[in-house]
Amino acid sequence: MIRVEHLTKRYGATTAIEDVSFEVPKGQVVGFLGPNGAGKSTTMRILTGSLGATEGRATVDGRDVFTDAREVKRRIGYLPEVPPLYPNMVVRDYVAFAGQLKGVKDPVAAAERAIARVGLAQVGHRIIEHLSKGYRQRVGLAQALVHDPEVLILDEPNSGLDPAQRVEIRDLLHDLVEDKRTIILSTHVLADIEAICRRVIIINKGRIVAEDDIERLGGEQRTVTVAVARPGDAAIAAMRAVEGVSAVVDEGEGRLRLTTDGDRREHVANAAAPFGLLELSGRARLEEIYLRLTMGATP
Amino acid sequence: MRNILAIARRELSAYFATPVGWLALSAFLLITGFFFAALVSLYSMQSAEQAFSPYGAPDMNLNEYLVAPFFGNTAIILLFIVPALTMRLFAEDRKTRALELLLTSPITTTEIVLGKFVGAMGFIAVMLACTLHYVGVLFYLGDPDVGVVASSYLAMFLLSGAFVSVGLVTSSFTENQVVSLVLGFGMLLLLWVLGWAESASTGLTAEVLGFASLINRMEDLTKGLIHTRDVAYYLSFISFFLFATHQRVEAFRWS
Ligand SMILES: Nc1ncnc2c1ncn2[C@@H]1O[C@H](COP(=O)(O)OP(=O)(O)OP(=O)(O)O)[C@@H](O)[C@H]1O
Ligand SMILES: [Mg+2]
Repeated sequence: MIRVEHLTKRYGATTAIEDVSFEVPKGQVVGFLGPNGAGKSTTMRILTGSLGATEGRATVDGRDVFTDAREVKRRIGYLPEVPPLYPNMVVRDYVAFAGQLKGVKDPVAAAERAIARVGLAQVGHRIIEHLSKGYRQRVGLAQALVHDPEVLILDEPNSGLDPAQRVEIRDLLHDLVEDKRTIILSTHVLADIEAICRRVIIINKGRIVAEDDIERLGGEQRTVTVAVARPGDAAIAAMRAVEGVSAVVDEGEGRLRLTTDGDRREHVANAAAPFGLLELSGRARLEEIYLRLTMGATP
Repeated sequence: MRNILAIARRELSAYFATPVGWLALSAFLLITGFFFAALVSLYSMQSAEQAFSPYGAPDMNLNEYLVAPFFGNTAIILLFIVPALTMRLFAEDRKTRALELLLTSPITTTEIVLGKFVGAMGFIAVMLACTLHYVGVLFYLGDPDVGVVASSYLAMFLLSGAFVSVGLVTSSFTENQVVSLVLGFGMLLLLWVLGWAESASTGLTAEVLGFASLINRMEDLTKGLIHTRDVAYYLSFISFFLFATHQRVEAFRWS
């Protein structure tokens, strides 16, 4: 459904993305991850037609985003990093205006539907400027949904929100996923990605570093950190002896970092108990893989 | 066409949703009203003098002594007010990022540019319509030439179109509305000054300067003389700046 082939975008001397290729099949929900400045927004803006590419091509539903822009834009709902709002407008009028631009038959009715969908019915008559940030984000989402697009491209829909609003937006996204739309969602909140997406694309410094189902991502390798009261060679040797542990690094102050094959936390805990186990922590799977791929360090 | 109207309607209502629109409208009416009242009292004083003069019957032409100077003044007022109306057209959309909604909608850049142009012209049409009651006063006072009044309004509209097209392109160069205002106003002022230089020069220089002088071009129109070359001049001026705006907006995608 969405196919990106060898996309490169340069801003003068800086390269924002380089040779980016990936594919998102119809109906799939993909998390787009990467550190600040990795090129997520750049890629999304190219897909939505608000930015040109230096090289490469991209298609949505087989239509080229550059040469067949109008048809592509009809199919895409896009929420940019900063919602494209007119602060002086009333919510309802703004969403209806967006509907008009997207070529919806009855923009007023479509706006009402989109507003209800994102839970804005109570504030439909208010001026956008006066809404809280979370609600403005929802207005942005309503704008992206107003023409009932097959493809949704959402750039950090939950950035800068308080925890309660973040959860609400996440629930909303969860509902959207059930609609069988093709979605590309970028966010820095890995827990949201794990809750919503089956697949992830990880981009770092303008290049794709991973693209796979979350389940399969990064093989079976994991990291466990243990803190013991009596560290020393004996403790390290005991850790090495645990089945599935491939490396042990002494981080000092009684902390040992273990690289394991699969989830070995229980065995590690048993083996560390005689040395006075104080603490044992394994990062969430996606977070661990994400950090490994984007920090450039292999533990 | 539908898209142009949708954008134009939004722009037009935006003028009424912010103080800038109301301020511009009030300032415009206040100043034109002042000039009109001054011209009317001057006119009645002079024609009264003439009526009692030993040289015979009053022969002061209402069109010449009232209509033409009034629209001449209105042109200058527009030169000051239009940049305030056009400053936000692209600058605000860039600042709020709302431009991204336009750029990612299935509409063409031409439609975006024309929509904004038509929206601003709509507001100017409202402004000019608010001056129609002065015309009523003219008919009460005497017997103005309907043709002269009509072609003067045409002149105001064409001139405003030219001002708006300049303001549109300058507002696409910045996110800052104040900078946009200064740029737009500066450009119009320059064009106006070139018109003075035209009157003072001759030959080829005058020809070249004449091409840039927006205001001199409307003299015949405010006398009721509609020449195709003058109308064509304004229309090509407007097209040129709309095209420049189009190129500029396209460039956003490739920046
Ligand atoms: N208009 C621009 N001019 C020059 N460089 C730019 C421009 N926009 C983005 N960049 C650069 O391109 C790179 C990619 O930026 P992009 O916004 O795509 O990153 P991102 O992954 O969305 O980051 P974030 O998580 O902070 O949103 C960055 O290095 C950025 O500095
Ligand atoms: Mg970004």
